[in-house]
Amino acid sequence: MNHLSHGELIDHVYGEGASDAAEHLEACVGCAEAQRALEDDLAEISSPEAPEPDSAYEERLWHALSPQLIPYPRTRQIWLRPAFWLSLGTAVACAALIVTAFYAGRGWEHRYRPHTATSTAPAPAQTKIMVVLLSDQLERSERLLVQLKHANADDTEMLAPMRDEAQSLLAANRKCREEAEKTDDPDLTKALDRLEPLLTELANQPGGLNAASILRLQDEMNAKGLLFEVRVLRSRLPDRQHPKGGVA
Amino acid sequence: MSKSDHAAIGAVLSGDKNAYADLVRAHGRSVFRVAWRITGNEADAEDVTQETFLRGYRRLESFQSRSNFGTWIYRIAVRCALDKLHIRHPEQERQALEDSNGEPAFVQIADHAPGPEQLVLSREIAAFRETAMASLTPLERAAFTLRHMEGCSTEEIAAALDVAPEAAKQAVYRAVHKLRNRLALLRVRT
Repeated sequence: MNHLSHGELIDHVYGEGASDAAEHLEACVGCAEAQRALEDDLAEISSPEAPEPDSAYEERLWHALSPQLIPYPRTRQIWLRPAFWLSLGTAVACAALIVTAFYAGRGWEHRYRPHTATSTAPAPAQTKIMVVLLSDQLERSERLLVQLKHANADDTEMLAPMRDEAQSLLAANRKCREEAEKTDDPDLTKALDRLEPLLTELANQPGGLNAASILRLQDEMNAKGLLFEVRVLRSRLPDRQHPKGGVA
Repeated sequence: MSKSDHAAIGAVLSGDKNAYADLVRAHGRSVFRVAWRITGNEADAEDVTQETFLRGYRRLESFQSRSNFGTWIYRIAVRCALDKLHIRHPEQERQALEDSNGEPAFVQIADHAPGPEQLVLSREIAAFRETAMASLTPLERAAFTLRHMEGCSTEEIAAALDVAPEAAKQAVYRAVHKLRNRLALLRVRT
């Protein structure tokens, strides 16, 4: 059994002993005796009563201290400090800058957004009308080209309606071409450009259509692949542009 | 910390040095008491008290407002008292520090105190106490005073004396050992 050291006994007396020190003191007569002797000795070294200073002690102390104390720099009211106004000015300037930037941004948006929208994408109603017109134009053009492909040069009764239809399509074709240019659709513009000379010749053949002019126009149509091109353009349009039982 | 202490500290730091008088009045006596217990005489205790409040004033900017001013000034008082003892007993402290490595060593010092016969004759506990306490080094005296008379814990003693907790504990051990030796001698002679 290890007995408690002098230091451990002192710690125990002052309430900082190890937890097992108390158990040891209960079991060990020698250590318990040493503990009691220590407590007796410490009890004799009682706390001395400090002399009580007289009632004027604090005043004397203050009068002795006061001349030695250098006052801390007196703090001015916050609004009297230059730093306050400098900070306030900076804060106001920043706030003004933010507000200005905000409203400038909003103004810019209002000014330029409508133009951008018009130039890049037509309004939904306008787009719908344009699609309907183009669809009708391409459908009629396809039908005319099919008639031309299968036209019998000797059948003069068939040629007159073809000329009338070509005249009608020619004006609409120009309108569609203009719209195609506005919507920046180069494929459509190019196709309508290639179609126009054929429609012009069909509509305005000097002396009217005859067997020779029909054959020449058929060759021109086949050489340019106009019928195929018109069908491709029609296929790009929405479904409603493909009427059931369309032209073969 | 009391509201009045807090207000006084704020006023002092704002440039009103006279507000410090409130703190001196509120804590002057408690500072004097601990100074007296450590130094053992009234003149030194008054010097220590004055030096404590002077140091406190100069360091007031470093005082954390959430702390207790009483505790803060108490620690300064202990340091000031210890410094006073160092001035009074420089050689004693140097020897104690040399012996403080390793196991607790018990300093053998020359006894300049009155002899046992005089103690027996006077039979005054105060005289014995003074004699016994005079045999301690400043660190031992301060540590023992804080432990035995002020009821401080090891951690508090270490903080007040600005030493490691183990050093504070060893200082208390040495002080108790010396005081008990003195007491035993007194009993034998009487």
